[in-house]
Amino acid sequence: MTTQIASQLSSGQLRRKRMALNLFIDAILIVFGLLMVLPLILLVANAFKTPAEMLSWPPSIIPENPTLENIEAVLSDTPLMLWIFNSFAFAILSALAISITSAIAGYLLAKFPSPIMSILFAIILATAIVPFEVYMIPLYFQAQSLGILNSLWGLLLGYLVMSFGIFLIRQNVVHSIPDELLEAARIDGAGEIWIFIRVVLPLLRGALGALFVLAFFQAWTAFAWPLIVATTKPSYTIEVGLALFQTGFTVDLGRLSAASAIVLVPSVTLFVLLRRNFVEGVASSGLKE
Amino acid sequence: MASLEIQNVHKSFGSTKIIRDISLSVPDGAFVVLVGPSGCGKSTLLRMIAGLEDISGGTISIGERVINEVEPKHRDIAMVFQNYALYPHMTVAENMAFSLRLARRPRSEVNERVENAARILGLSDYLDRYPKQLSGGQRQRVAMGRAIVRDPQVFLFDEPLSNLDAKLRVQMRAELMELHDRLKTTMIYVTHDQVEAMTMADIIVVMRDGVVEQIGDPLTLYDRPNNVFVASFIGSPAMNMVKGTVKGQAVQTAGGTDWPVSAAAARVAAGREVIFGFRPEHLVLTEPGQGIEAKIRLFEPTGSETFIAAMVGDQPIGVLLRQRLHARVGDTIWLGLDPAQAHIFDVQTNQRIVAT
Repeated sequence: MTTQIASQLSSGQLRRKRMALNLFIDAILIVFGLLMVLPLILLVANAFKTPAEMLSWPPSIIPENPTLENIEAVLSDTPLMLWIFNSFAFAILSALAISITSAIAGYLLAKFPSPIMSILFAIILATAIVPFEVYMIPLYFQAQSLGILNSLWGLLLGYLVMSFGIFLIRQNVVHSIPDELLEAARIDGAGEIWIFIRVVLPLLRGALGALFVLAFFQAWTAFAWPLIVATTKPSYTIEVGLALFQTGFTVDLGRLSAASAIVLVPSVTLFVLLRRNFVEGVASSGLKE
Repeated sequence: MASLEIQNVHKSFGSTKIIRDISLSVPDGAFVVLVGPSGCGKSTLLRMIAGLEDISGGTISIGERVINEVEPKHRDIAMVFQNYALYPHMTVAENMAFSLRLARRPRSEVNERVENAARILGLSDYLDRYPKQLSGGQRQRVAMGRAIVRDPQVFLFDEPLSNLDAKLRVQMRAELMELHDRLKTTMIYVTHDQVEAMTMADIIVVMRDGVVEQIGDPLTLYDRPNNVFVASFIGSPAMNMVKGTVKGQAVQTAGGTDWPVSAAAARVAAGREVIFGFRPEHLVLTEPGQGIEAKIRLFEPTGSETFIAAMVGDQPIGVLLRQRLHARVGDTIWLGLDPAQAHIFDVQTNQRIVAT
């Protein structure tokens, strides 16, 4: 009887201890979360501030005299919507292309093993360690000779295939699609293309969703390649367009903040919609580009 | 329905020979079990019949048709895999209808065949569920249903019950046999479990290292194993094997124990060194002082029977008694054996010595 009570007491203590630990962890996470989200909040706040308030110290989180001037100026003086559209088209087409090429290549590498496939896979992995900046210039000349500078196709040229995506899908196929499933389908009378579309793709939905989101944000946040391949104002992506606000000598902070705040709207919306896939992608890959 | 003919088939991966010159004739409607230890090539042989592995040499025919170069989907076979291989993103009904849809059969026929198979297998209430919502036994039934709807000439089973627990395995075994009785289709069944083989098969094919060791009906394999391997593989607990020399009406071991042999066997193998085999269940208790003396090393009463691991001299043997025995480890018991139920094998070739 006494030992029972003693153990009950200790289990109560244990619970309190665990709760305290959880509270402590929560507090730390909240502090870090605030630190990370604060710049974004300030950015949005700045979009509605007058130039004088923007430079005042300490910075205010809620503008004293909110104004829409910055936003109006940005929308009337720059083709901001066109740039957003360019970025969107670029990111979606790139993500689509990467999803398709990764699915096909990853599946073939996983399920049709041969010495040649092993060599191909090693080569594909090797390309992942070559920084983009190394082959950026030759790629530029290629785009130039194809006559696709300053176009969506030019932007896409470097963003159709992602070696990491191929790797991700290959690993997923190896781990989640047993050979027997494909063999059963073959005996059932399915052809290879049918198997890929009706059996393999549905089973890769999760991985492909994650990859799509990763690829989308990779293109959405791309800067170096769009900067060199798009040289006319109407062909800029939003990343390049935003950089324009920093001219050689001055930074127009008000307009830059306004433009950035507008740009945040679609990416935040998309992130909220695809949050699950995004987390899955980062969790399974362990990295975010 | 069709017969299956395998002639001088072999298979190599590089220089490794997996299947060496196997010939086998499966009559129409037979239930044939390929049995053997892991790595004996039984699954490979099944996969060759299915068309999932190339055939390095020889021919395989279903009915009159040689199918060596025929694609799996055109062989008119259905296969059930160990891990079920159900399409996880399709419902039970969609899984079962998959092959018929591919063959562009009319919807009414597809529905009818799926419902029919579901009724046979007791799956009618589960047609709208997904595989992950089913138990292991139900999944295995869906896998069988997928095979049944195709109405194939030959069913192939690759260790289909290995992933189930012991009780369910016994139940599914019975269901499979009922299914065979009902459909009367030729079935080839691969297992490493000799109990499954003994209980289900019309014909058992015992394989080892890519070679067929013996083909026969279960009781023939049990009563007249061709060699030491088959003798020790078939039957549970395993057959006792004792080395000795035939002297008079007995096999005398190095330890000096005399095991009785039949007059015919004594005549054929007189003076030869042999392996003497006898099953644990063929030993009986005798009066103290008569027969062979053994010391109990391990005592396992299971209720219906009693298994005893004993030592005869320095030779360990197993004894299976149908009666209850009140004894303890270390006790001495006396054993008798009907010589007609013993087997003798040549010590060099391990082949059965046939007593005429």
